[in-house]
Amino acid sequence: MPVDPLSLASRIASSGLNVQETRMRILSENLANAQSTGNTPGEDAYRRKTISFSWELDRATGSTRAEIAKIDNDPGEFVIEYDPGNPAADNNGMVKLPNVNVLVELADMREANRSYEANLQTVKQTRELVSMTIELLRSSQ
Amino acid sequence: MQPIQLFELASKQSHWLTVRQTVVAGNIANANTPGYAVREVSAFEAVLDQTQPQVRMAATQPGHIQEDPMRGAVRSQSFGDVDVQPSGNSVNLPEEMSKTGEIKRMYELNTGMVKAFHRMMLLTVRR
Repeated sequence: MPVDPLSLASRIASSGLNVQETRMRILSENLANAQSTGNTPGEDAYRRKTISFSWELDRATGSTRAEIAKIDNDPGEFVIEYDPGNPAADNNGMVKLPNVNVLVELADMREANRSYEANLQTVKQTRELVSMTIELLRSSQ
Repeated sequence: MQPIQLFELASKQSHWLTVRQTVVAGNIANANTPGYAVREVSAFEAVLDQTQPQVRMAATQPGHIQEDPMRGAVRSQSFGDVDVQPSGNSVNLPEEMSKTGEIKRMYELNTGMVKAFHRMMLLTVRR
């Protein structure tokens, strides 16, 4: 039996929700660790995490699900600051701060929010289509 | 007496609409996927002319995947450079949202028509 396109639609939308949720998780990790330095002198600070997406084409149903391709570390340079009192300060008093830019993370969060809402709307819409079909069975007087 | 074809036509259209909803859902889910090209289903008229005489793979066992006749109508669209984001993604979220709205309206019309027709038939039978 072929898969019902409507249940497929809500499954695809939930794959989109899933991807955006994970993206949100990564973003909040970055934000939470925006000031996390190392503990020993000269140690590396928190490295910003990045997430990338890909799509998976299901040949049997011809649908395109969204999925997470990779969660990686941003190889960008750390921010170096002079703070001799910090436990992570090296011999010259310089501390490595994480390569997290709060502004970038917040902008990304907005986009994740928007995409999440769009997927949620699809789930709602699909459910309405299903209930319209079920409504046909109701005896009309 | 002439055969009544409305129900068949209506079920075909609702199938087309549900497939379209699936495709739009895929577009929205991949709104942030790099390199994803927007997909769209061919117009209903084109699909209607096409679906009747077609050679399909036979499903002779319960495990076989039966091909959806509407599947061949799904294509990815290519745009000029203007509508494609730097990441190679060509999904336009507002456009997709308006598409789902359109699908819902058409589906409402479709089920409404089936309902009305069904009521008319019942009326004839009852007398």
